[in-house]
Amino acid sequence: MPSADVVVIGAGLAGLTAAIELAERGATVQLVAKGMAATHWAHGGIDVAAPVGARSPANGVSRLRARAGHPYAILEPDLGAALAGTLACLADGGLAYRGDLRAPLRPFPTPIGGLRPAAIVPAGQAPALEPWAPGEGLLLLGIERFRDFWPQYAARNLARRAWARGPSRIASAVAALPGIGGLHNLNSLVLARRFDDPSWRAEAIAALRAAIPGDGPWRVGVPAVLGMERHAEVLAEVTEAIAHPVFEIPTLPPSIPGLRLFDVLRARAGAVGVRTQVGFEVAEVERDGDTVTAIATRTAARPLRIMARDVVLATGGIGGGGLRGRRDGSLEERVFGLPLAAPARAEWLRGDLYGANGVALESAGIRVDDELRPIGPRGEVVLRNVRVAGSALAGMRYLVERCGDGVALASAYRAARLIAGAADAARTAVAS
Amino acid sequence: MSFIDAADVSYPAFSTDNCIKCNVCTTVCPVARVTDLFPGPKYVGPQAQRFRGGPSPDTTVDLCSGCGYCTRACPAGVLIAETNSRARARVVEQRGTSLRNRVISDTDLLIRFGVPLAPLVNLGMRLPLARRFGEAVGGIHRRAAVHPFARRTFRSWWRRRRTVADAGPDKTVVYFHGCAVNGFEPSLGRDAVEVLERNGFTVIVPDQVCCGLPMISNGLYPQARRKAARNLRSLAAYARRGYRIVTTSTSCGYTLKAEYHEMLDLDDPEARAVSEATWDICELLAELHHSGRLDTRLAPMARDLPYHPPCQLKAHGIGTPAMDLFALIPGLRAIDSNHDCCGAAGTYGLKKERWQIAHDVGQPLFDKVAASGAPDAACDSETCRWQISTATGLPVRHPVEYLAESYRAYDAAAALSGGLKA
Repeated sequence: MPSADVVVIGAGLAGLTAAIELAERGATVQLVAKGMAATHWAHGGIDVAAPVGARSPANGVSRLRARAGHPYAILEPDLGAALAGTLACLADGGLAYRGDLRAPLRPFPTPIGGLRPAAIVPAGQAPALEPWAPGEGLLLLGIERFRDFWPQYAARNLARRAWARGPSRIASAVAALPGIGGLHNLNSLVLARRFDDPSWRAEAIAALRAAIPGDGPWRVGVPAVLGMERHAEVLAEVTEAIAHPVFEIPTLPPSIPGLRLFDVLRARAGAVGVRTQVGFEVAEVERDGDTVTAIATRTAARPLRIMARDVVLATGGIGGGGLRGRRDGSLEERVFGLPLAAPARAEWLRGDLYGANGVALESAGIRVDDELRPIGPRGEVVLRNVRVAGSALAGMRYLVERCGDGVALASAYRAARLIAGAADAARTAVAS
Repeated sequence: MSFIDAADVSYPAFSTDNCIKCNVCTTVCPVARVTDLFPGPKYVGPQAQRFRGGPSPDTTVDLCSGCGYCTRACPAGVLIAETNSRARARVVEQRGTSLRNRVISDTDLLIRFGVPLAPLVNLGMRLPLARRFGEAVGGIHRRAAVHPFARRTFRSWWRRRRTVADAGPDKTVVYFHGCAVNGFEPSLGRDAVEVLERNGFTVIVPDQVCCGLPMISNGLYPQARRKAARNLRSLAAYARRGYRIVTTSTSCGYTLKAEYHEMLDLDDPEARAVSEATWDICELLAELHHSGRLDTRLAPMARDLPYHPPCQLKAHGIGTPAMDLFALIPGLRAIDSNHDCCGAAGTYGLKKERWQIAHDVGQPLFDKVAASGAPDAACDSETCRWQISTATGLPVRHPVEYLAESYRAYDAAAALSGGLKA
């Protein structure tokens, strides 16, 4: 039977971060996941905290920390180091980010013409957050036949928003890019890979430039398809060729900025020795009292048992598939059947999903102690060697508080620190 | 268009209801990465499935190479590759398929004629003119990876070998050699037997035919079911008594483990017993090692070895046991290719209209292998080995061949030092 010091379950932002941190601290790590994760659905920025009224991520965290049962109440001390570590790792992988915990939260236009607060974003999105100069207009520049970004529609919606200190005017234009007219299925991925090709890109950039109306000054928002593996290069060329500041607007899934983020983290995990298996869910768990001794994943034939000393559970919330609603109105945690803090069935969807407080179900999840171990209704630790990271944690409403990425990073970092610290302590004890 | 009759739709197709249209599958598809002809797994799978009540709405599903990455990446549990394979079978059922596809998927037939005529056929494979003719008339791309036929099948070697008495289910393994070992690479079969016997197993080789995978991949399900029925009759008797069935081909192994059930709907006790009992040889040897029972007296091989874990292996869900085995050979540094697919996908890369796609899918892998400067490379699946070998000009071998070589070198060194002492 294979074994690892730590089994990490889940390959999203929390799972990958925990796996990387653990491997870098010397642990052997096996990462298992049922499928790819929410990184592919998200915008690729790092949402740390942006509850209504927050001025910066740090300010948002201090507001959320004060809420009873919020993960930041225990995670806040780890947040700075976790964020710095991840941004450094992304920069090493060629993916530069801008912004930090003290950066102001500013409105960022979405592909349907909404506004969301953002502060820490990939370099390609950063120009959107610069203060708007007097007379500077926003031009939404779409791509002909690309169905996931309709600049006219987005521009009209944006014009109706209350955008304090925003652009002086909002306009739209469409560019026809070469050689994509006959495609069945023109999605963001096809375009991003086309931009990786230097010769196609030269023509495409010329077409983008030609589509910009002459009555600037503009700041130009384009769909986030500016290259995949060679994004930095593409971004530099586009910025150079177009006389106006340009930024990427992440589109519907597959989100290219999310994919870039995932690719860099996954490559790093591989480079530091994390073994990854995607596509097979945990089928069985073996315990000895309150300790998990092994997990078994589904395979094409028999379950595969993997012995582990520690486990990081990073399977996500309801969106990510870590929690599931059952027909009888109860909610289950799918790997260990852990106790959950959840509202009664009748309350699940009470409230406004997009309102200031969201719906009650959002805050459902696993309650943990200071060491991120799952606890039961009376505060007792249920599983001693399992740490919970990411959106499976109870007490946050990541849609309205926009805190999912920050919680993922800080909890993953803390889980790794505690597990590696305990292992070091054990080694020292044996040595002495 | 009528509503799809629920009784007519099997389980994988039902799973398409779980699709949330996130396109994660499209991001991992090796074929969609290189060609605009294939609109991707979501498009030909969950999306097109809604229209498959009557005649199939389109045939682009045939561009799927069957690697299975889409199913494994799906966060919603949709059996995309399985749905698409079945959709292809529906198209073939409704519209028929080419003689070429029927011939290249019948490997038992190819071996029956190819092995006796090996000198002639193998010569033909090397002659550019013959290859051009093969492309024009037979539809086999002139640059496609084809492996010469063996002069003698594995089974004929095995028949002349002294048979050892069955030592019971714990100490005996049933070897499913598959077509590649039987008709093309019998030396791999001999190495596998050697390695298994060295580790205390008695090997038996019961009646068997092609697993049926080439037919499944070409949408010829009725033909594949006939192959499966014969294999299950022969293998289930062993599986039910607790014998392990071992394969040296990750594709035959995956077919026995999963595809009889997932594609061919063979969900009876026989098929389940065979699935449960089937082991990839590296999986079995790594498991022996984890329990401390693998003979690790291995001679050093100080060198780098590029290793490509094929997409079929990844579908097993057993990790990369070959990497654990390579780590036991002193000095051998195996380097995971970190590439999704070589492109060959069984018979896919042979076809003149698919060869370029297959080649483009594998190109980054070929570049990595060539750039490594290593004199050879390793891979668990036969058509992948042939594809990488043809593209790079390097020999590509199964992981177990390295173990066998290292064991033999150890024995030779031991005999030498024993001789010197005496």
